[in-house]
Amino acid sequence: MLDHLFDGYTRSILIFTGIHIIAAYSFYLPFKTGQVSLGQAGFLAVGAYAAGIMTQKFGLPFPVALLIGGLVTGVVGVGVGFPALRIKGIYLLLLTLAFAEIVRGVIMTWEYTGGAGGFQRIPYNAYTLDYVYGLVVALIIFFARLERSSLGRAMDSIHEDETAAEVMGVDVVGVKLLAFGLGAFIAGLAGALFAHHTTYVDSVTFNILVGVNILMFVVVGGSSTYWGPVLGAAFLTLLPEFLRMLREWLELVPASWVDSLLMNRIYNFVHEFLDFENEKRLIVYGIILVVMMILRPDGILTRDNLRRFRFVGRRVGHV
Amino acid sequence: MSEPATDVCLGVRGLTKQIGGFYPLRDLDMDVARGHIHAMIGPNGAGKTTFFNLLSGVLAADSGQITFEGRALDDQRPSKRTLKGIARTFQNIRLFRHMTVLENVMIGQHCRSYVSIWKALRDAAFHRPFGEVREEREMRAHAMELLEFLGLADKRGARASDLPYGEQRKLELARALATQPRLLLLDEPAAGMNPHETEELDDVITRIRERGVTIVLVEHDMNLVMNISDRVTVLNFGTKIADGLPKEIQGDPTVIEAYLGQDVSL
Repeated sequence: MLDHLFDGYTRSILIFTGIHIIAAYSFYLPFKTGQVSLGQAGFLAVGAYAAGIMTQKFGLPFPVALLIGGLVTGVVGVGVGFPALRIKGIYLLLLTLAFAEIVRGVIMTWEYTGGAGGFQRIPYNAYTLDYVYGLVVALIIFFARLERSSLGRAMDSIHEDETAAEVMGVDVVGVKLLAFGLGAFIAGLAGALFAHHTTYVDSVTFNILVGVNILMFVVVGGSSTYWGPVLGAAFLTLLPEFLRMLREWLELVPASWVDSLLMNRIYNFVHEFLDFENEKRLIVYGIILVVMMILRPDGILTRDNLRRFRFVGRRVGHV
Repeated sequence: MSEPATDVCLGVRGLTKQIGGFYPLRDLDMDVARGHIHAMIGPNGAGKTTFFNLLSGVLAADSGQITFEGRALDDQRPSKRTLKGIARTFQNIRLFRHMTVLENVMIGQHCRSYVSIWKALRDAAFHRPFGEVREEREMRAHAMELLEFLGLADKRGARASDLPYGEQRKLELARALATQPRLLLLDEPAAGMNPHETEELDDVITRIRERGVTIVLVEHDMNLVMNISDRVTVLNFGTKIADGLPKEIQGDPTVIEAYLGQDVSL
């Protein structure tokens, strides 16, 4: 449906942006209850493989496989959520990181799905773009409602003070498990969509950096509002493309402008730097993150920013 | 220990908490009659806050038994005890600082409106796109009532952490009342309040009792304690040293000794 509106390059970028937004939401939901997970890549992998097995090995239609991929990941998420209940902060980071590594280990050694050679020939889904943005819209609506609901408030209260929330009657165990499990479910959907777009996944696809990136989407975008993950994922995914565009513009600079030795050097340096194929863009990423953390530690968007637009940020009690 | 077992709201038998070789609370027996304001006093470190933590389930007791309205309360998470009808405030204020005053109170109501987490999820995900579910409206109306009761109604939109200290204490009280308790544990509600606010608090606590809530009160402000309590229990070094009517406690030599040391004549 949306397919015909874009050329292949734009389509591909839009798809990855959308999948990143979904993945960012999978991090945002448990984070709303104070649980920081670096292991979302592990859940993406579970979803990708579970759904891939359903379509490639069992020949199920994609929508069914997508749902199964999400559900399987959700169940795994609740399983990981149990030990995660008792630990916090940096220890939870390590636990989720370890989980993601376990998943990678299983992927590498499981011959059924190709082992270290990767899971190949996953059926290509021609409607990925529609699925991805349908899901993004559904998630935005869900999170908008969650933010204004009693459950959303309960999640916020757990984030602020777990003991006080529990004493006030909030079922902290239930809410945290729900958030972690639903987060995993969302990650599973993202993984399934990803696998049926690229048609090939392996253990490298879901390495540690993927989990770090997902965390970055939310931190940069802003973790106190549901618009943060959207903005952060879109910003950081489109940034390399933007840098690449800058480079193309740079090439339009007439040669006479960079005549002198000094100017030439600067030109070459910038030109090299903006090359998005090489790893130098990681430097740009890093610098942006450092500057962000100094200038806006709460992310680009915060709840208080949004409060000015009453219809988005309105919270109970604000008049 | 032979209390007339007329109408006991809270019964405690042999309650003990041990940390290494130290007993914050040791072998405590006490009964709180329904509808009473029961004060717990004692010097700092006497075990009063530990007692509250054991009652609300924040800490687990090492031995002993707690019964609430005739049923044992063992091994239950704090949220389960809140559902049973026990609420508390904290000595070191623990509001949800970044939330508004109204939201803080509405958290207290969450457990009454949404006993099932699935219902909460369903209402969050599937209610009409604009507008509110009935539960939300009821919660807000009830929360506003409580805020009016405590004189905080016009502060409903303020961030909890922006309130002055005395009002934060009141908000803690409102949040605890929002869980619709039958037993309310107040941990030093007057700490940090000026004399005027303490007087108001006196009135508020009495009115809470009139709503049929039994109150256990830990407090250092002796005027407040002696004014409003029906019964006073005195703790020192984790054990009960006296138990009686406020008048009896005031003249009890062991109590005076605990507070002021030996050989002091008043």
